Amino acid sequence: MLANGVFKSAKKKEKWLNLVITLIVLFVALLVLLPIWWIFRSSLMSTGALNAYPPSFIPYEWLWSNYSKALETFEYWKYFFNTFSIIVPAVLFGTVTAIFCGYAFARLRFRGKKLIFNICVGTILLPGMVTLIPLYVFWTKGLGLGDTYWPLILPYLTGGGFFNIFLIKQFLMTIPMELDEAASIDGAGRMCILWTILVPSIKPAVVVVAMMLFIQIWNDMLQQIIYINSMSKFTFAVALTNFTGSFGTNWPVALAATFMTIFPGIIIYILGQKSFVEGIVLTGMKN
Amino acid sequence: MKNKAKAKIKITSRAGKKEEITAYLCLIPAFLGVTFISYLPTLAVFVLSLFDWNGLTTPKFVGFANFTRIFTKDIYFIDSIKATVLYAFLAVVGAILYSLLVALMLNMKIKGRTLFRSVFFVPYLLPAIGVFKGWEWLYEGNFGLFNFLLRMVGLPPQRFLNSTDQVIPSLVLIAIWISGNLIVIFLAGLQNVPGVYVEAAKIDGANAWQRFWHVTIPSISPIIFYNVLTALITHLQVINPALALTNGGPSKKSMFMSYVIYLYGFQKNKMGYAAAYAVIFFLLVGIFTIILFKTQKSQIFGGEE
Repeated sequence: MLANGVFKSAKKKEKWLNLVITLIVLFVALLVLLPIWWIFRSSLMSTGALNAYPPSFIPYEWLWSNYSKALETFEYWKYFFNTFSIIVPAVLFGTVTAIFCGYAFARLRFRGKKLIFNICVGTILLPGMVTLIPLYVFWTKGLGLGDTYWPLILPYLTGGGFFNIFLIKQFLMTIPMELDEAASIDGAGRMCILWTILVPSIKPAVVVVAMMLFIQIWNDMLQQIIYINSMSKFTFAVALTNFTGSFGTNWPVALAATFMTIFPGIIIYILGQKSFVEGIVLTGMKN
Repeated sequence: MKNKAKAKIKITSRAGKKEEITAYLCLIPAFLGVTFISYLPTLAVFVLSLFDWNGLTTPKFVGFANFTRIFTKDIYFIDSIKATVLYAFLAVVGAILYSLLVALMLNMKIKGRTLFRSVFFVPYLLPAIGVFKGWEWLYEGNFGLFNFLLRMVGLPPQRFLNSTDQVIPSLVLIAIWISGNLIVIFLAGLQNVPGVYVEAAKIDGANAWQRFWHVTIPSISPIIFYNVLTALITHLQVINPALALTNGGPSKKSMFMSYVIYLYGFQKNKMGYAAAYAVIFFLLVGIFTIILFKTQKSQIFGGEE
């Protein structure tokens, strides 16, 4: 009887604790979303309404015309096209090569495996800023690829950093070897097994790698700034760095342009979200 | 009989050879990356740091002159070390605490955790340039969100990005905001904590705090280490806020080392000098990484006692 009572009160306590935690999480989540909402709501207001005090949380009238005004100076679709003509091949190259390398480390026996693996791990700790200048010299002076997208794309032919290779390897190691063997008895070659059986079964990891490459390029303002010179080749990052001057102090229009650059990321996240979280969670669990 | 066995061995070894060749073929990308993107350029930066070169004429060998100049006469050196270390320290501590706390709460059986998990991750996915331009508005002196909030609670407005004292903390807040990736990794680690241990501690009469401190934290200490390490290397390399917002100001308070390398290498065309800066930066990051690895070791032993 007594034990039962204690048990019940403990359960009640836990329920209360959960409620309090839920409220805290909700509050923090709203704080996290507040900046995004604030940027969005400001992009839909007139300068006058923006400067009013107290400021309104929701725009009094929704001035979508700010967006068409922004499009007059900010050539959104051109930058969109330019940005994605770097991102698409780079993500594709990076993901495919990471799969090949991860496969070799996970499934194949070869001499020097441990040594090669350790040499690769070392590169994770190497800051990109250190190699920036020699690489710039190599791409522009050595190969004459200045003011092209190649220096921004070609490095991704190397698996896009060893972490991605490592991730694929970890995932492949969780797939039972019997699957390969069964397919092999049926006469399938190694590459056939890799691409038709193994890759589909590690889909979350592939999505994670693709998404991380996407974010990496998205955020790499520096390299886009140093390699791209001509205005016709500007990406979002370069254009927005250079062009805020041309909006003057017209905050709503500048914010409309800003919000438009944020938008593709949100869409892609919504599309890939499920696999992404699943993939990251699984990585941790199998370690 | 004997012949048959021999043949079998031969076939397997031939298969082994084929397997090895496939492996090396698959690894060509990694090999190229390691050689041409990582190790050779690192060697090259050391060599280049000994030259005076504007990027066009023939490089002139100057020995350690670039380094002596940086250590004695450079107008950015001291400020850049200060700004970089302060920023990295605050950003790592802030981002780790924030993401660990959120992950711990999300790990409890609360309603709508899947939705919450996505919410905290969103800022990480936004392009850096959009984030910084957007936050510039939030920090705006007269009508920005933060000054509005301050005014609401009766505090005087602040200058944030234009203030020498507040610029680094203001940028750190942005860095914390976009650290949703750490939350996801912490969550993955927390789901790995064996439930048996937690139950056992409960039966032994450990309260929530003791369970957290003696069971949860030691179980996820490798994940904490991983997150601290990657966050440290990321934040020591900070450059985007300076490129997008501050240009190193006000009064060189956000003159990060990466930004100085960029200024010398690409704005002033002093390639050799910038390379010398990069070498110093490399050593700085190396020292911090080694310190971190040392503390990790003592922590593991501490946990096992």
